[in-house]
Amino acid sequence: MAIIFKNFKRQFVNLGPLILLYFLAITELDTEFSNYFTILSFNLQFVIIYYWMLRDPPLLGNGHVFFAGIINDIIMGLPMGTSPLTYLVTAFVAIYIKNVTVKMTLFTDWFTFIIAIFFANLTYLLLISNFSELSITYSSLFYNSLFTFLFYPLFWVIFNWYGILTGIHRND
Amino acid sequence: MSASRDDFGIVIRSALLQRGAKQKFSLFFLICLSILIFFLDSFPSKIMDKTRSLLNDGIYLTSSIATSPIKFVTFLKDKTQDHIFTYQENKILKEELKEFKKKNFQNEFLLTENKNLKKAVDSSQEVLESNIINNVSAKVLLDKESPFLKSLILNKGSRSGIRKGMPVLDQNYLAGRVVEVNYLSSRILLLNDLNSKIPIIVGNSALHAILSGSGDEYPKLEYLPEGFELEDNSTVYTSGKDGIFPNGIPIGKIFFENNEVKVKLFSDSNQLSFVHVILTNSESNKF
Repeated sequence: MAIIFKNFKRQFVNLGPLILLYFLAITELDTEFSNYFTILSFNLQFVIIYYWMLRDPPLLGNGHVFFAGIINDIIMGLPMGTSPLTYLVTAFVAIYIKNVTVKMTLFTDWFTFIIAIFFANLTYLLLISNFSELSITYSSLFYNSLFTFLFYPLFWVIFNWYGILTGIHRND
Repeated sequence: MSASRDDFGIVIRSALLQRGAKQKFSLFFLICLSILIFFLDSFPSKIMDKTRSLLNDGIYLTSSIATSPIKFVTFLKDKTQDHIFTYQENKILKEELKEFKKKNFQNEFLLTENKNLKKAVDSSQEVLESNIINNVSAKVLLDKESPFLKSLILNKGSRSGIRKGMPVLDQNYLAGRVVEVNYLSSRILLLNDLNSKIPIIVGNSALHAILSGSGDEYPKLEYLPEGFELEDNSTVYTSGKDGIFPNGIPIGKIFFENNEVKVKLFSDSNQLSFVHVILTNSESNKF
């Protein structure tokens, strides 16, 4: 009984990042704070995908990243396929960095995150401005990318703490 | 040099194609699938429209259920705050009342101004009522903020007669227009979204312009005639020039900022919980 409970607890804990990713996609909860500070918004989904893909890719799973993107597109009213592509680009950069890096630290993660944000938002910009009728302001996209980059260390510390506390990072 | 290029290729290939023991799909497969879905969704087809409509209804409903605990917590927080600050609010109100009593000398002026405003409101109301034949009340199901899109999801769709392009009112003020219709839900584009363009008329003048969303709180007036003269605080109404929106729907009051004419909207998009969709004979292709 104790073993079953322990296994269940471990599985639930492992699902934490995935639950957070889906929760952000499907609920009203957002990371847009323009009511408090006009330019303040960031993309927490990018941070979750990048951090956990760097640490443990099977924990999120490519399929779940794709499906969370589809849900996000429907809720936000974006052309379907836009968010999955940006999320998968982020995941791709993370896996590439994981394959070429021996030891991961906050600073290597943080600075390589710029590449991920750049390519993900470039994909977003190319798709929206060339293949849809939607207009976007470059400044809001820039501020969103900037704050996503700036807040990365904060979430890195939180996720790292979560990983150590729950034993996910035991084998790192 | 050639070896390092080979290594780079191997790492890229490995990142794109490796699945590991627990992964069902490779990144390459999912990227191709996303591109395919994007292009299928970009080009109008009946099958894709129906699929998207079904998906939308299902996900909006799930999202509404998943969001209910957050809404409940927000409701509780607001109620608690109201309760805590009642005493303090009462004190402030008493002070304000004193202040207002002191300002009796202004009453006469205010009364005259009020009469004039009432006249303006009554006339716009008459115009509005003569134009509105039918409307549907709808509840705001989801209000997810986005830095790029300002839109809301309503709990009524094509089943209630809602069509693309129909105007949406918050009480008697214009809040936006319908841009996406599903069977059980619909999406409205708010006036401050970057993609929103509404033909308007300023006050009782014959000054026509386009109210254009700028992505921030206040939309601006574009295509004003050369050498225009506008008074601060003039009211902006729909002109009905597009043949879709009824004319005379109040939108907001104008103000000047950085050489631009901006509009402070009557409808507060952050406070919307119920809206009215006017069932006009709109044609989506006009947008």
